[in-house]
Amino acid sequence: MIEVEALAKRYGSFTAVTGLSFSVSPGQVLGLVGPNGAGKTTALRCITGIIPMSAGTVRIAGHDLASDPVAAKRELAFFPDEPRLFDYLTVRQHLAFVARIYGVEGHEALAEPLLAELELADKADALPVELSRGMKQKLVIACGLLHSPKAMFFDEPLTGLDPLGIRRMKDSIVRRAREGAAVVLSSHLLHLLEEVCTHVLILKKGEKVANGTLAEVAAQFSNGEANVGLEEVFIRATGGTES
Amino acid sequence: MIGALVYLRVTSFRNLVAYRVRRLRQPRYLVGVAAAAVYIYFFFLRRLRGVGGGGASLQAIGAEFFQAFVGALCVMACAYSLVRIAFAWISPPPAAGLQFSEAEIAFLFPAPLSRKALIHFRLLGGQLAILVTSVLTAFVFGRLSFGAANSVTRAAGIWVMLSTFSLHLSGTHLAVARLKESSARPVLWRAAAVAAIILYAAAVIWSAVAFLNMPSSAGLLSGRGMDRLAPSLLASSPLRWLILPFGIILGPYFAADVPGFLLAMVPALGVLALHYHWVASSEYRFEEGSIALAERRATTKAAMLRGEAPKVGVFKPRAQPGPFPLSQKGPPEIAFLWKNLLSMRSSLLSLRTVGIAIMLTLWVSFVLGPVLSTRGGGSYAPIVAVFCSIASGYTLLLGPQIARQDLRSDLAVADILKTYPIAGWRLALGELLAPAAVLSAVLWLLIIVGSFAVDAGGHLEWLTPGVRLTSALCLGAAAPVVCAVQLIVPNLLAVLLPGWYQASRSRGGGIENFGQRLILGVVNMAFALMVLAPAAVFASLIIFSAFMHIGLAAAIVLAAAVVVSILTGEAAVGLWLIGEQFRSFDLSTEIR
Repeated sequence: MIEVEALAKRYGSFTAVTGLSFSVSPGQVLGLVGPNGAGKTTALRCITGIIPMSAGTVRIAGHDLASDPVAAKRELAFFPDEPRLFDYLTVRQHLAFVARIYGVEGHEALAEPLLAELELADKADALPVELSRGMKQKLVIACGLLHSPKAMFFDEPLTGLDPLGIRRMKDSIVRRAREGAAVVLSSHLLHLLEEVCTHVLILKKGEKVANGTLAEVAAQFSNGEANVGLEEVFIRATGGTES
Repeated sequence: MIGALVYLRVTSFRNLVAYRVRRLRQPRYLVGVAAAAVYIYFFFLRRLRGVGGGGASLQAIGAEFFQAFVGALCVMACAYSLVRIAFAWISPPPAAGLQFSEAEIAFLFPAPLSRKALIHFRLLGGQLAILVTSVLTAFVFGRLSFGAANSVTRAAGIWVMLSTFSLHLSGTHLAVARLKESSARPVLWRAAAVAAIILYAAAVIWSAVAFLNMPSSAGLLSGRGMDRLAPSLLASSPLRWLILPFGIILGPYFAADVPGFLLAMVPALGVLALHYHWVASSEYRFEEGSIALAERRATTKAAMLRGEAPKVGVFKPRAQPGPFPLSQKGPPEIAFLWKNLLSMRSSLLSLRTVGIAIMLTLWVSFVLGPVLSTRGGGSYAPIVAVFCSIASGYTLLLGPQIARQDLRSDLAVADILKTYPIAGWRLALGELLAPAAVLSAVLWLLIIVGSFAVDAGGHLEWLTPGVRLTSALCLGAAAPVVCAVQLIVPNLLAVLLPGWYQASRSRGGGIENFGQRLILGVVNMAFALMVLAPAAVFASLIIFSAFMHIGLAAAIVLAAAVVVSILTGEAAVGLWLIGEQFRSFDLSTEIR
């Protein structure tokens, strides 16, 4: 569903990401972790077509992102850490706009349960300026889910959410994966990844340090110890230093 | 404690200068500084030194003009001050406070500092900013000085005026807020204050009119007496006593020599000190108001960085219904048209729009005023025709700068736009539809009115009804594509040079940003001329070479077809370029 091969991103002489390869199948949730500046956000932005990659191949639901970006983007949804919305469109108008862009027919029938699920139903006619940060985040999620994407990319999805919102977000991610979506989730919250992810990929200085199921990665860095948590694995994998 | 605050100011200023200097390593900032330096030299310094035509022409205008000009300027400034103060009483801001930045609030408000220390910090910081403005104003407009002994006294005079006004306004805001908080009948107090201001203004006007109506003033109102009008008027009783507070404040600036300046500074500084004491001793709890002000300033700054115009007053967007029902089938470009038309409604009250409307009105009045005054009771059709021509030109030139609800205002959400499953050129087309539609509608209106108004008397033989109708239809057909091309140019620049474009959106930013804005404006105009020139040349050639053979109406149709074809081709190339550039450019290295 999501296939990344030898992805590289360079800014002049600085290499942000290099030789990154991985794949995420339907139903899998891949946790992307790494120290600050490891290249997580850059990698996500390349894979979703927001910024051009310097080298490599990305395929979303079988569509090559470089040669057929429109088809590839039709199958994905990106949820940035900072909710960016159109100032003068209400919640409902955002959904109408996105439905037209993605060609979602009969979007009202899909939008209503989505708004109810995200507790935005009573804010349907509010502008972004009238929403709290958490609500804005929820609106971004509603817009992203409207076209039932097959590949979903979350960048720090829990930022700004209250405890109930966090619980619902986690449930929502897991449910979408169970329904057949391939999910990539970038976060510093390792306990979230332990709860939600089936796989984990650790990046350091733009390079892949480890990739596999949680158990596989834990075994790689456990040094024979039992019950090593993801936090300890992360510290060992990254050498306990920043990028 | 004040030492720490002074340290904050001094260190921040030093680091700002160091940062700006370091930034010059980037070519665009260096080029910006060079452009600004050339501009400042040719338009200010060269004139100050009397080189070029500026100095000579100013001298030629004569002392009388300056006297009248500065007098009028002072009257307008005083009237403006009174109106601003009256408004502060009539319609005070929802939250009154002293202007702190968000960082200052985050660090200083929870810090172990007294309220007085915070107030002094803010007021002294404000005075510093006003002093810098005063020095720059005195330097830039040095040639237009009047009476002031030298540049230093001029700057000090301006500082006294601006500081006193700023403090008075702050004091008024705090006083009104305090009154609202503590008085049982604040509306009565405010009404009394407004009544006092109106009475005062009426007394000033009455005194001036009474003086001018006196038989002894007749000589001052004509011929050579005009140069003595302002001084005589200001020295007459009771006007001189009524305007004494203003006189004290303006005194240092108008002092003829250094001793006069020093003498005038004593009462002026006294008034300034009284104002300072008034604000500093305010008991009003300003903290909440300051937080609201800081948030509003941060919002405005963020909006400007997004390419939006600052809004008039306390702007609160309201939800609006869509301009038309958006069906879920059809080309995605229509969704962008729908979205941008929706946001256009909310931008009609922008400062830029109001400013340009005022400028246009003044300009049109300036051009049409003499025509109106000499026409007597004749037909107004020629005036309407001239107005339509001028307004059409302005719509084409300034319209794309006002109607910017396109890709330029969406650069901040480019991350999201780039994930949409749409080809780049289609996204660009969709983004441009709304402003192009609005500008075309304005042009169509002007063309319709203008086509009736041009030669309404029927004096031009060649302008037959057929030619008139054909011309109007051809202009109408060409209008949308001309508007599209005019909009493509700034949008293309915004994605080709996003860093430059972003600098042009932010206010201030130093001399290097000013230079960048200057260059971007020139490039924009050169680009527009380059794109429009081929079509204009071909149209002229076709009309002049073909009208003898096929008739004027047919020649106009032929020329219009060629113009539309050329511009459509150029627009297509422009849209493709914008789309490709938008798809490939990396925001993280450009504007973040």
